Amino acid sequence: MSADQKIDLTANHQILEIKNLSVNYGGIQALQNVDLIVNTGEVVTLIGANGAGKSTTLRAISRLVNPRNGQIYYNGRNITQCAAYQVVGFGIAHSPEGRRVLARQTVIDNLQLGAYIRSNQAKVKADINRQFEIFPRLAERRNQLAGTLSGGEQQMLAIARALMSRPKLLLLDEPSLGLAPAIVREIFSIIQNLRDTGVTILLIEQNATMALNIADRGYVLEAGRIILTGQAAELLNDQRVKSAYLG
Amino acid sequence: MDITLFLQQFLNGLSIGSAYAIFALGYTLIFSILGIINFAHGAIFTLGAYFTYALIGGAFGFSGLLANAALPVQLPFALALILGSTLAGFVGVAVERFAFRPLRRKGSDSLLTVVSSLGVAVVIVNVIQYLVGAESYTFPANIYGNLPASFNFGTVEKPVPIRSIQVVIFCVSVTILTILTYLINRTKYGKAMQAVAEDSTTASLLGINSDRFIVWTFFISSFIAGLAGSLVGSSVSIRPTFGIEFGLKGLAVIVLGGLGSIPGAVLGGFVIGLVEAFVPADYSGYKDAVAFGILFMMLLIRPQGLLGRRFVQKV
Repeated sequence: MSADQKIDLTANHQILEIKNLSVNYGGIQALQNVDLIVNTGEVVTLIGANGAGKSTTLRAISRLVNPRNGQIYYNGRNITQCAAYQVVGFGIAHSPEGRRVLARQTVIDNLQLGAYIRSNQAKVKADINRQFEIFPRLAERRNQLAGTLSGGEQQMLAIARALMSRPKLLLLDEPSLGLAPAIVREIFSIIQNLRDTGVTILLIEQNATMALNIADRGYVLEAGRIILTGQAAELLNDQRVKSAYLG
Repeated sequence: MDITLFLQQFLNGLSIGSAYAIFALGYTLIFSILGIINFAHGAIFTLGAYFTYALIGGAFGFSGLLANAALPVQLPFALALILGSTLAGFVGVAVERFAFRPLRRKGSDSLLTVVSSLGVAVVIVNVIQYLVGAESYTFPANIYGNLPASFNFGTVEKPVPIRSIQVVIFCVSVTILTILTYLINRTKYGKAMQAVAEDSTTASLLGINSDRFIVWTFFISSFIAGLAGSLVGSSVSIRPTFGIEFGLKGLAVIVLGGLGSIPGAVLGGFVIGLVEAFVPADYSGYKDAVAFGILFMMLLIRPQGLLGRRFVQKV
């Protein structure tokens, strides 16, 4: 194998590959035959209306829901049968829908639990300080119970906590939901910076314009099916996307 | 009331209150992690007492399958206490495995799990009765080795004698409370356990194996129940049903303190213990009525308990 080929391989390395994924909730089909690929270093966004199946896709990757059909590969390894608590150990962190910070624990404890799977406490401590540099508001509130934070601060904590596991793939579920525009911009610029530090990101958003502006590629989900996929710039100019999601 | 009598009742109240506190803590740990009251807790308390009694070489009576049986070993009380409580802990783990987990896996209503735990309680009590009979057994008087029968907390002229066992109960309970509080609030695993209790889905996203923490919680909770059973049993006597009454008392304690609140369980335990201690001797038959009277008032006035929180959540 030549050196060029090697470089080529890493450039297009698929960190995540979803094949033919279907998920049912009771009798309702939440996802139907979804195929999705995320390459190392990319920001990929999944856009779609409420209830289109965006969160379900992330929950399937994190093994919080069991697919009816299909496989999920992470770095070529089939993780479809793994338990939810194992996933973060592989290098996938999930900042879930609704933030889900641990309201009864402090900001610091939330961050520490984000690093639950790591054993080197000195490095964990250093990483907590790094999160405080990225999110200065959290530093001010380090000893406050997470339940007392504002929505924007909770969102920052959810992202910071996910980063504490030093993920290779970060799943972000609606980081802009319910936040004031200024805070949304702040969070999006942080996401862009993360991408520059080499974290691969799969981002779910209702705010399709902002998501497509920072993403490399996008998928459009409608009623549980992928109806469109392409480069983010193409999607931004696509008539169907414009009329349905960009308003 | 004269001061020495007051002091004596107060110290006795602290002692039994501390036993209520650790017992109720066991309920609380399981409640906070699963949202379910484990009705088998009182039966495990009884079982722990029987284990310890057997391990010190105590003989059983003439009825039951094991009539006149005794273990060939006679362990010192402290060792028997630890071993007996550990066995109780393993029974707790088995209860979780066979009476709780299958229902949890199916996503059953929590009421079904409560009924399941009640079934386990009945089974344990009846198995004890089947094996060693329904009569009561008293621990030998000399189990505390060189400790005197009582300690004097007063002066020579005005003695305030407290039975040694009450002192032992208090010291062991406070030690357990201290260790547990430290483990839960100051260690990584304690915080992970709290995370499972608050939101097990999120805990699993962080890499926390909820099932493992649930098993540990049952072990610790049942270990403490066995410890409390052995200590209280050694101060009175043991019967297959003596944990049932204690178990109901424990319910009063946790509701008083606030369901799911660890400091609440401790506070509730001491409050009930102290109030009971001050029930006049002539009315000692009404002790339980007082405990449940408090429970009743509490439910009317402050349903979330002394230190309980109302379940409000920001979305």
